[in-house]
Amino acid sequence: MSPTLLEEIPPPRLTPIGGVREALQRRWARPGGRAYAVLRWSGATIFAAIVLGLVVSLLATASQAFGHSGVSFLWSGTYNATKDIYPTGIFIVGTLITTAVAIIVAVPIGVGTAAFLSELAPKWLSSPLSVLIDLIAAVPSIVVGLWGLLVLSPVFAHHVEPFFKAVPLLEWFFHGPAYGPSMVLAGTVLAVMILPTIVALSRSALTSVAREDREAARALGATRWQVVRTAVVPGARTGIEAAVILAMGRALGETIAVAMVIGNNYSLPHSLLSPGATLGSAIINNFGEANPGLDRSSVVGLVVVLLGITVLVNVGGQLLLRSRLRTQRAAP
Amino acid sequence: MSGTVFPVDPGSVPDAIGARRELVRRSARRSLRRRRIMGRTAIVSCTVAVAVSLAPLVALVAYTTSRGVHALSWAFLTHVPTPPGIPGGGISSAIVGSVIIVGLGAAMAVPVGTMAALFLVERRGRLAGALRFGADVMTGVPSIALGIFAYAVLVGPGSPIGHFSGLAGSFALAVLMLPIVIRASEASMRAVPRDLWEAGLALGVRRSRVVRSVVLRGALPGLVTGNLLAVARAVGETAPLLFTVLGASLVVTNPLQPMGALSLTIYSDGTQAYPAAQQIAWGTAFVLLTLVLVLSVVARVASARLNRQAR
Repeated sequence: MSPTLLEEIPPPRLTPIGGVREALQRRWARPGGRAYAVLRWSGATIFAAIVLGLVVSLLATASQAFGHSGVSFLWSGTYNATKDIYPTGIFIVGTLITTAVAIIVAVPIGVGTAAFLSELAPKWLSSPLSVLIDLIAAVPSIVVGLWGLLVLSPVFAHHVEPFFKAVPLLEWFFHGPAYGPSMVLAGTVLAVMILPTIVALSRSALTSVAREDREAARALGATRWQVVRTAVVPGARTGIEAAVILAMGRALGETIAVAMVIGNNYSLPHSLLSPGATLGSAIINNFGEANPGLDRSSVVGLVVVLLGITVLVNVGGQLLLRSRLRTQRAAP
Repeated sequence: MSGTVFPVDPGSVPDAIGARRELVRRSARRSLRRRRIMGRTAIVSCTVAVAVSLAPLVALVAYTTSRGVHALSWAFLTHVPTPPGIPGGGISSAIVGSVIIVGLGAAMAVPVGTMAALFLVERRGRLAGALRFGADVMTGVPSIALGIFAYAVLVGPGSPIGHFSGLAGSFALAVLMLPIVIRASEASMRAVPRDLWEAGLALGVRRSRVVRSVVLRGALPGLVTGNLLAVARAVGETAPLLFTVLGASLVVTNPLQPMGALSLTIYSDGTQAYPAAQQIAWGTAFVLLTLVLVLSVVARVASARLNRQAR
């Protein structure tokens, strides 16, 4: 149809009201209606904008520090509150050590607890215990930190840390004076904090293993524990790995409780008993006093480094969780 | 393989099969005994793991309760803090601050989160997948990063407010709650049977109306639980508030001014060496713990009750 022909056809005469009504009908006849679509899209857009804004604003604030020291910000850093330079590397090492302690302490205990709750305990015991652990998971980190500082720290200084120093092989990790606040105390407090997460996530991974797998192992003559070891744990492996990784993300990113119990000493730790600092505790303790400019930009640089590490870990954990769900769905 | 279990020529030795059978039986018995011992050891160590994991968690709650109850009194809840060194004083400014900050944060996060969840429910494909993944990763972002973000956007020089304020804290907490609200709401909306959607649409009802009166109503128990759990998480947070709301020792109701918060009181008083300040920290910790646990319990009970009503 050529345009000239179209122009020749007179437009249908509509009364103004009829035209409006028709336009409205056309608009509202869309699936869902326009207002609803606007609502949905604005929700998604606001969330996306916030995520983007978070990344962009932190990067923009930190750009001065990154520009000043380049890639070496990751180890030597530029932070100076009183003309002292505190290398970022110390904080990264502190973060990794405390997280490693937390994982080493919490994973065997947590997975063992999850295995007990999902496989070994009778139902009358396992369901109230699971609810209890779910509730305790909600305990705010500041309360855990307070408990760690005022209750656990004296116990560590007088009993736990001297004990570790006395054990022959462990003394290589534990030497120097026992103050209480230390890497190992921070790691323990973190372990208490991530324990409920590990238990809850691994328990759900264990319980979602198919009943047939258990029955098949039982039919082959496996004992109760062998069923768990040969059928249930391998089936739940990715789920448990994801639980550990997500808990690790939480331990890496925890700030306030760690800042209360780690002792805030800005030198490279030589033992698990020495007080230290993590990225999170360094941010908390230095952001308030940092002068605008390079000083503050360096602290925000620490935030960016922390954000980068935790996002990496969390992406890994989520991908693992997803792959578990996919394989489960694929199984007949 | 079978040749190693049974002799090749049973005729050569008269009772070879019987002897073999006896051997196998004995070794099976021994293996069973070993497997049983291993199993028992494993079960015992799992039980020990439960005890070890429950001990610190229960001790923490019990100790906070026993110390907190001593600090608790009517005056503690209704008075403002006294200057350092002067006995007495309460945490009313922190209670009012926490309620207002978290309330405003929830008022921002719940509508936006529900709308974004509707987006995820209605749309499939790469965009929705990316958004969902983003929400999942956001739940693991360190809360201090959200605090610094809120500082940069609302508190720091050149920002709209330009000074410490309760609203900046609400914004940080809203960002914290948003991914939790989105994922919990999406999950509960997906749990509404597809048939109900389709029945509504088949009646010729507009889609937005179906969503409002079928999907949102059906998902209500899950929505309530998810939002309450997000609020419970936000109430206990400290790091996002540290550089946004600053803290205040008077009751402040204007969200554009610096405010107090329960978690900030615990942090500032708990890190002091004075027993009186520590006493206030324990009392505040007990109030906060009670608040969080009550919210979590209510979330579960409410969803169970609403679920029963829906049936």
